[in-house]
Amino acid sequence: MREMIEGILAEACRRGASFADIRVTEAEGTSIAVEDGQADKIHSSRTSGAGLRVLVNGAWGFAPTNLVTRDELRRCLDDALAMARAASGHVTDPGMVAQIQPVEATVAAQMRIDPRGVPLADRVQRIFEIERVARERDERIVNTTAGYRDAAGTLIIANTFGTWIEQEAVRCSVRVMATAQSGEVRQFATESEAGPRGYEIIDEIDAEAWAGGTADRALALLDAAPAPAGKFDVIIDPRVCGLLVHEAFGHNAEADAVWAGDSILAGHEGEKVCSELVTIVDDPSIEGLNGSFCYDHEGVPGRRQEIIQAGVLRGYLHSLETAARLSAEPNGRARAQSHQDEPIVRMSNTFIEAGESTLEQMIADTERGLLLKGGYWGYVFTARGQFTCNVENAWAIEDGKLGQHYRNASFAGLTMEMLSRVDAVGNEISFDLGGMCGKNGQSMHVDAGGPYLRIRDVVVGGQQAVGRAG
Amino acid sequence: MMSELVDLAQAAVDAARVAGADWCDAFCSDVTEVSVEVENSSINYCATIRDQGLSVRAYTRGGQGFASVQTLSLQSARECAQRAVAMSRAAHPDPDFVRLPERDEIGEVPGLFDEELAGLGADAWVRWCARGIEEARAVADDAIVQGGAGAGWGESALASSTGIAVTRRGSSASLYFFVIINRDGDVGSYYEHDQARRLADLEPEGIATKAAQQALRQLGSRPIRTARLPIILGPLATMSLVGSVIGAANAESVQRNRSYLAGREGERIASELLTVREEPHVPAGMRSSPVDGEGVPTMPRTLIDAGVLTTYLHNSYTAFKAGLAPTGHASRSGYESTVGISASNLQIQPGERTEAELIAQVDEGLYIAHAGLSPNPVTGEVSTTADFGYRIERGELTTPLSTTLIGSTADELLGGIDAISSDYREEPGFIMPSLRIVSVQVASEG
Repeated sequence: MREMIEGILAEACRRGASFADIRVTEAEGTSIAVEDGQADKIHSSRTSGAGLRVLVNGAWGFAPTNLVTRDELRRCLDDALAMARAASGHVTDPGMVAQIQPVEATVAAQMRIDPRGVPLADRVQRIFEIERVARERDERIVNTTAGYRDAAGTLIIANTFGTWIEQEAVRCSVRVMATAQSGEVRQFATESEAGPRGYEIIDEIDAEAWAGGTADRALALLDAAPAPAGKFDVIIDPRVCGLLVHEAFGHNAEADAVWAGDSILAGHEGEKVCSELVTIVDDPSIEGLNGSFCYDHEGVPGRRQEIIQAGVLRGYLHSLETAARLSAEPNGRARAQSHQDEPIVRMSNTFIEAGESTLEQMIADTERGLLLKGGYWGYVFTARGQFTCNVENAWAIEDGKLGQHYRNASFAGLTMEMLSRVDAVGNEISFDLGGMCGKNGQSMHVDAGGPYLRIRDVVVGGQQAVGRAG
Repeated sequence: MMSELVDLAQAAVDAARVAGADWCDAFCSDVTEVSVEVENSSINYCATIRDQGLSVRAYTRGGQGFASVQTLSLQSARECAQRAVAMSRAAHPDPDFVRLPERDEIGEVPGLFDEELAGLGADAWVRWCARGIEEARAVADDAIVQGGAGAGWGESALASSTGIAVTRRGSSASLYFFVIINRDGDVGSYYEHDQARRLADLEPEGIATKAAQQALRQLGSRPIRTARLPIILGPLATMSLVGSVIGAANAESVQRNRSYLAGREGERIASELLTVREEPHVPAGMRSSPVDGEGVPTMPRTLIDAGVLTTYLHNSYTAFKAGLAPTGHASRSGYESTVGISASNLQIQPGERTEAELIAQVDEGLYIAHAGLSPNPVTGEVSTTADFGYRIERGELTTPLSTTLIGSTADELLGGIDAISSDYREEPGFIMPSLRIVSVQVASEG
């Protein structure tokens, strides 16, 4: 295999590529779906292939294959070179890559329990038991689903710098959803656990607290009022903080957007861009989080990157190309969904560092506002810095006390203006947003978190205006 | 090639039956794609992808096993079938599973595969992207252009243990541009696209021009006051709303009690002005097909008739569970996906006055061109941002919007439709007029 891969890379250089890389993957996975007491869907997948990228005359060409043979890789090389040459006549801003030292490494999977060694019947039974806790919680629970997924395999990364990395990878995830109904009102809650770890993720779950707690949240939402509309001081929980820092901010710090003129952060390195209470970090080296990894898919070690330090913009998240374009050190942020996709800049584990306040202090100190808990989804238009985040719960805060419970609130704003209005940062952080991020048609494993945070004057899009909260 | 694909699918079905499946089907495909990327106003990247794969769905006592593989060979097809059956044996029996659909007569829908499009080389797509950059720069010489082009074509085959053996060829292409104009810290941006199955239906010229013109109009965006206001949804925002409501009518979610449309078949869910047709046989329609993802013939139908939800969307499992015939809405998005439910081409019946006339009648309101106006499928609630829009003041579009959110429910939005435009945006198979909604809660910073 190595001789074949390195031979193809050498041929790429002989045929005019200034850089080339190949990723070879092989993986197998199982998923189990339990709904309303039946584990009636079990799926098995096998994926394999290679993705070959070349840089020729400043243009990138890419061609993958599902068959890793010498003939197929030669065909891919022919195609990738042809693609690059088709593009190169119209390139006005030539592509480039940062020069790095080659890496030779073998990376083992981080797992205590190999999911492939757990009998399928045992895995099915475990997910069934988790779903049963949610289903039997209350007669108003009208639907429950639990989903399990594992994937195990290998990834080889090789490039014309001489890098050769062989990684063994395993991932497990589990998700539960409970739908509650009372009269015409239906509400739901979800919970998930995921990471580049083994079956211990599922083993370690306290089903009663985890699945039962999810059902309890759905039930509580039945009695919550529709969210209010207007401008509020908000306190956000770590999950919403993770959603905010990933969606509203993190995508702006991906250097491909910066270079492309599609980020509000472009040109502001070294400047104060938000509250000095805010320090934002992206770090793939934190063990066991959903966005953790050793090497990115260009073979660059993933290292901690402080993006904002005490309100000052310090750096971006880079691929080999963006690092070259912006004269920065590569920091290992290029990943691809599969061998059929090219590596693009992605976040890893993104969070706001802890501060000094406590939640109790923040609430006590808030005259009128909302406590937002449970981030669901979000997105951003990076060029304008306009984002939207949707949350599961909100509680009114009046004169330092929690009041009315609301449901389903989106809040939006201009990212850097909002981060400039942060005036309290909690003293404990947690990561609770392990999931998938979508960008340019690719999904990628990420995580996010932070502390409780208070932000002044945030617009919330509810169903009825209440002026200030309450 | 097509006969080879169906032979392979049939071989997988045969192997699954030998392995003990009660019912089974197999799907395989061989697809080629070309894509070009534009970043920072330059062609950056060009790719060609050939993807082949096969999957098998097997049922044992109603329990479903599914397996997929990324190669096309007899050996891998048989192995995949055996894996699927093993999965089905490990699944719990499902007493609600009845059977897979029987073979039926199917028609033809012309225009789904275009030789000319499939034969177009990467050079052509690169040239169109380069032309788009020039167009945008002709509108604003400081425009930053992102975008790209993509074309795909290929063949697929489906075989089942009930005798279904279907092959299909298809092609499609799209071109899109997102233009950014940054002037002294004020940013205007906008997105425009075109898509088609046939080269003759694609209009690559003018997409970037429109995006750049709208990006200029988006400069100077401001928030507005928080208030209940009438809103007009442009064609794409309208389809975002209507499409997601149709999506919530999928019978699996309804039967499982995780859809806000459960129990509402045959009831009014929208203003009587709203009629939505589904037309799966439009020649060269983007979602046209003579059969659904299980080989069941598709048929045109009215999904919302003068505001009344006429039917849920079924695959064979949900239909037979309910004692009904399948409605032709089973969907697969490739060999790695199992069978879901979705609608095909949606056509909203236009109204009697133009969009301009609808706007002219509004003294104060919002015009929303793009927004993720999708009610949550479980709750029916909406809380989201008007991504690209304008204030309406005294019957005219004025200031572009910034940080403006909508909070509502599907019932309120659809029930509040008081006008639908006579003019519409058309993409192959889809008809998208604009809608006016009487009153919606708007939240903003003003």
